[in-house]
Amino acid sequence: MLRTAFLTFLTLLIAIGGGAGSVWYALGAIGGLGALHVGGWTAYPQAGTVDADPYSKARVAREAELPLGRAEGLAFVADRDSTNQPLRRDCTYRIEGHIPAARFWTIYAADAGNRALAPVGDRAPGISAFAVVRASDNSVVVTASPRAAPMNWLAISGQGGMSLVLTLYDTPVASNENIAEIDLPQVLRTECDG
Amino acid sequence: MARLVYAIILGIVGAGIVHIAILLLIPVFSERDAWSRIASVTEPYTIFPLGRADLSADILKTADPLFDVAVCQFDLAQGVVRIAAAAKVPFWSLSVFDRRGRNVYSLNDRTATDGRLDIVVATPVQLIELRKDMPAGLEKSIFIEADIGEGMVVLRSFIPDPTWRPSVEAYLASATCEAV
Repeated sequence: MLRTAFLTFLTLLIAIGGGAGSVWYALGAIGGLGALHVGGWTAYPQAGTVDADPYSKARVAREAELPLGRAEGLAFVADRDSTNQPLRRDCTYRIEGHIPAARFWTIYAADAGNRALAPVGDRAPGISAFAVVRASDNSVVVTASPRAAPMNWLAISGQGGMSLVLTLYDTPVASNENIAEIDLPQVLRTECDG
Repeated sequence: MARLVYAIILGIVGAGIVHIAILLLIPVFSERDAWSRIASVTEPYTIFPLGRADLSADILKTADPLFDVAVCQFDLAQGVVRIAAAAKVPFWSLSVFDRRGRNVYSLNDRTATDGRLDIVVATPVQLIELRKDMPAGLEKSIFIEADIGEGMVVLRSFIPDPTWRPSVEAYLASATCEAV
């Protein structure tokens, strides 16, 4: 009798505890089934739509996200540089290359929770295509650094890890079938403090 | 021993069922989703700029800092809703979300007549009624068909640099969200 009660209890414990725990773990750990990887950048074109997978839907509900719609744009996030090292706020990075066709784009730095970093002084919190110096071949070099840099300086504040978010607005990329064939800029580490 | 193994296997199968059940129920029952958090600080049919709310840091966690985001919640059961603004900004885009946070429609200023924000959200049935007898003043509006009850629109306006902020705020202040 006691043995049956124990086994029943064990079964329920594994079922409820394991079920709830695995959901909690999966929402935090799994990058997302609909992830699109281009170079070091990741985007979730399906996020927030009716076609999104159940994990993405649950995460959007739990994190209170309001993802961009198809006609609005598409956000790419990079949290590692070209040598696969995690991005650090005390390092200087060159983000260089061509940016895919879009009406305009923005780049900003975010912390581990994907929240935009506090702006430095009176500077704008990010760089947009409206205020950028381009090279003669129309490519763009943005320097993300805690120290002032010439040309396009994306000022970084604070300590710890960070990620870079490149958002393309009103872009055919978001509705393109061959979305994985686009080219995005590389994130190259140039130097680090300490 | 065999019964113990049996109990553990049964538990793992049960864990799979519980996993799927919880996963599918989170969007339905979540009290932390964007809708609930926004509903706790604003009234329906008001354009609410998220940047001014204390909890905006949470809602806007993944939002672009070069954008100003405003929301308006509505209920199509109380009639179609019209969102319009008089002024213009360099770029705006808009998404319609249903109660469960799914993006059912999105558009940007290129879709709109003359780049002005003037849209009407209606269910398919309401749209048929509207087409039969078009109310005055809606001739230039863009009609969005959304088969939803409660919903919200999220309006994002681009601020190219801080000097644009007063214009964008004036634009948001001129925006209206009302049942017609």
